[in-house]
Amino acid sequence: MADQVILSARGLSKRFGAITVIDDVSFDVNRGEVLGILGPNGAGKTTLFNLISGDLAANGGALSLDGAQLAAEPPYRRCKRGIGRTYQVPQPFGAMSAFENLMVPAMLSAGLSETDAAAHCAQVLEDCGLSARANTDAGKLTLLDRKRLELARALAGRPKLLLLDEIAGGLTDAEGAELVKLVRRVKATGVTIIWIEHVLHALMAVADRVMVLNFGEKIAMGTPQEVLQDPEVRRVYMGLEA
Amino acid sequence: MTSHTYTVQRSTLSSRIALTLGAAVLVALVAMPWWATSGNIRWAIELSCYLAIAQMWNLLAGYAGLVSVGQQAFIGLTGYTLFVLAQNFGVNPFLAVPLALVAPALLAVPTYLLLRRLDGPYFSIGTWVVAEAVRLTTTNIDYVNAGAGLTLRVMTNYSQHEREVAFVILCALLLLTTIGGSYLILRSKVGLALTAMRDNPVAAASQGVNVGRMRFLIFVAAAVGTGFAGAIYYMAQLRITPAAGFDPFWASMSIFIIMVGGIGSIEGAIIGALIYFFADRLFGEYGSAYLIVLGLLTLVIALYARGGVWGLIQKLGDHPWFPVRRILIKVEK
Repeated sequence: MADQVILSARGLSKRFGAITVIDDVSFDVNRGEVLGILGPNGAGKTTLFNLISGDLAANGGALSLDGAQLAAEPPYRRCKRGIGRTYQVPQPFGAMSAFENLMVPAMLSAGLSETDAAAHCAQVLEDCGLSARANTDAGKLTLLDRKRLELARALAGRPKLLLLDEIAGGLTDAEGAELVKLVRRVKATGVTIIWIEHVLHALMAVADRVMVLNFGEKIAMGTPQEVLQDPEVRRVYMGLEA
Repeated sequence: MTSHTYTVQRSTLSSRIALTLGAAVLVALVAMPWWATSGNIRWAIELSCYLAIAQMWNLLAGYAGLVSVGQQAFIGLTGYTLFVLAQNFGVNPFLAVPLALVAPALLAVPTYLLLRRLDGPYFSIGTWVVAEAVRLTTTNIDYVNAGAGLTLRVMTNYSQHEREVAFVILCALLLLTTIGGSYLILRSKVGLALTAMRDNPVAAASQGVNVGRMRFLIFVAAAVGTGFAGAIYYMAQLRITPAAGFDPFWASMSIFIIMVGGIGSIEGAIIGALIYFFADRLFGEYGSAYLIVLGLLTLVIALYARGGVWGLIQKLGDHPWFPVRRILIKVEK
């Protein structure tokens, strides 16, 4: 049913000069699901996120959130519509504390009052294991904490669609397991998630469906089991012959 | 069940002391006609204008990422508007100051729309070109006496005491609106957006900050604040010419003050303005040698102390005068 679909992409494409990075990609994301995105380096995964968040403008195709076209919407308006994102390379506000980093989307995207935003951000910091670093300048955090901060900041904006870009990279098994629990908790609150991840066991533990990209083209879409059995995916992504 | 709650700390002991001192300075400023010499009052007017112009440039370059070298366009234009209103239209000169502030806003809007797509140095050059265009245009308008400039003869209708009282009140209002206004803005939701923009404009946009609108609003606000200072400065001088009003010196002074004081902080702008003002008083007589020393000082600070003098002071201890940060405090129940 149409109202089950929160994000719809039709014929999406992006070119950088002569190079096509996203080539006629179409997919739907259902409300409340976790859609994993796999693909080798250079497949166009982060570019796809940039098209959804508005950081990059598409050369063709259509993108809609809850039925409303996003094409002309700048990034800040997409954020206010409920699209929260993390960056593969953390992009914190370096001279602001972790808490202040979260206050930005809480007040400017979610539209919370100062008091409500502070309470919400304190809770998100706790959920993401950053309470002890709340007043540390983001620029002074370790890489791991910066990754946590990326997730926390995206959550602080109370998104309905959350774009996670390789947040599990560099985590230990225990930290990865904690992250999976956190993503499950976020999902349980009704947030729809699209998650680009190379740490397969983390992604497969949470994803309802997985889409695989290669050279900007969608080569597979299905449940994690279906996708992992796909001969093309095994060849392209895992280097295995079918 | 959580056994704690949180509160957010916005002020510190140092800020309460600074605000008390700031209020005392404003009272002393307004009372100057009754305790200070006319020379001291002229100094106070000049310093107030430097503080305001630097603070506005700090908002522009330090937060909005708009490095303008053409703020003299707004100084000269507001000065000229004031002179025309008072001298040619017979408006009370002190009332003409707020009325003249419409002019920089009217110039800032098309200027920003014209230059908004330019980045970094291109934007800077664009602002300089606009300022030069306004200067050349003014130089060719006979109505404002072309290159010879205007004299504010109507000021002779007021006694020296009346003039001094009006000037110190205007200066207090100038400092309240530029420094006090910057402080209030930076503590608000808008300040949060500006600080995020300063650190990472791309990420700020993806977190709900309308970067374009913020830059536009700051550009217009800085134009009006800068123009306010220009109006008071040239009113006190009683004379304005295109060469003085649109002098690129105003841009280089702003850059010096903010680089040396510390970019991106209210305290830095104040410290830088004080350093410039007293250096000018003490060493100005040495002419070009003095300017070379100022230039070298800016270079040294830019290379070895990017946070300026305020950054060095902060290394000794975090005691902000104008705290804009939000400190999350955990409170056990």
